[in-house]
Amino acid sequence: MSAWSTKPWQRWLALGLAVAVLAHLLTVWALPRLIMREAMSRIARETAAQPAAQAATGVYLPPPTDHTQRRIVMPSPDLLYATCALDLSRGPARVTAEVAHPRYWSVALYGANSDNFFVVNDRSPAAQRLDLWVAPPGSDRAAVPAAPDATVIEAPSANILLLMRLLVTRDPADLESAKRARESLRCGDRAG
Amino acid sequence: MTARRITALVVTVVASLVVGVGSAWLWLTRTDPAGQRVGPWLVNLEAGSADASMHTRARIALKALLALDRRETLYYVADHDDAGRPLRAGCRYSVSGPIPPARWWSVTAYADDIFLFPNPEKRYSVSGENPTGRTAGSFRMVTGPTPPATGSVEWVPTPGDGGLILTLRLYNPMPEVQTDPGALAAPRIELQGECP
Repeated sequence: MSAWSTKPWQRWLALGLAVAVLAHLLTVWALPRLIMREAMSRIARETAAQPAAQAATGVYLPPPTDHTQRRIVMPSPDLLYATCALDLSRGPARVTAEVAHPRYWSVALYGANSDNFFVVNDRSPAAQRLDLWVAPPGSDRAAVPAAPDATVIEAPSANILLLMRLLVTRDPADLESAKRARESLRCGDRAG
Repeated sequence: MTARRITALVVTVVASLVVGVGSAWLWLTRTDPAGQRVGPWLVNLEAGSADASMHTRARIALKALLALDRRETLYYVADHDDAGRPLRAGCRYSVSGPIPPARWWSVTAYADDIFLFPNPEKRYSVSGENPTGRTAGSFRMVTGPTPPATGSVEWVPTPGDGGLILTLRLYNPMPEVQTDPGALAAPRIELQGECP
């Protein structure tokens, strides 16, 4: 047993190292989750603060990206965005849009840990009439009241963030069609 | 437990917490992100991906929150020029190369806080559409605090004397770069003239 005997300073050092390693790992693990939680609660607040008709769609329509946007880092000035925070704790949520935008666009879903777990773009077959059902983790697909041609996605977490990107070139018609497209986005209907 | 031992315990735990959290912060903010070097550019292959390591995920959340997965978009980020010098907003750079192999590409200038430079004309990026994905032709742009002498080249203003970050985005990259982002013919980033 003598080989295992330790001096007091060794025990303090071991304790200190263990606490430091745990604190390091916990910080790295928690950071994306905290940043996402903050982003989602801000989006929920911004959504609710819009005029009633837009707030009812569940979607936040930020102004076109310029240097005054200082919320989410590395914004793309060539994209018009629409976003929503989906709470799946009460069951699956539906996302629909009717998009006739002639440029690149996509709808991406992010989990609470910031992973991009799903993306659909304008070249996907289901894109022209987008009908997605996002189900909470571990839910039974058969219980989701989705139409047969709808896409059902199982989310990795109960809170997710949706980000729609619409490319806007210098062609002035782009901004108009991108605006129409993002105004058609509906987030969080549950009626089916 | 004696008062001395309690003090020692508190000091050890607090010091260790500072070391743990501090080392995480330094690691995430001061070290180069894991990725592949392509000329002066660094492309992160795990952005947005569920395969990302814990450190990559945290770094992306800090520096490129809501990045898309590489199948959708490739992000090449540069904070050095071709000669390895740190990019500075107060200097003039020429960025040039073949049209990138993607359906849509853009080069955007960011200040060192990773937000856009204040700019009343809203010139933040140079971009182009490339629906066929064939890399025909080339592009050239200039960044710097004042417009270039020749008006024919596209200019993105970078006021101030802080740092500068350039991001090259490839939306719907062609298969050859999607499978091997290192195969991109990297746009050159060249310092023009004297740097104040």
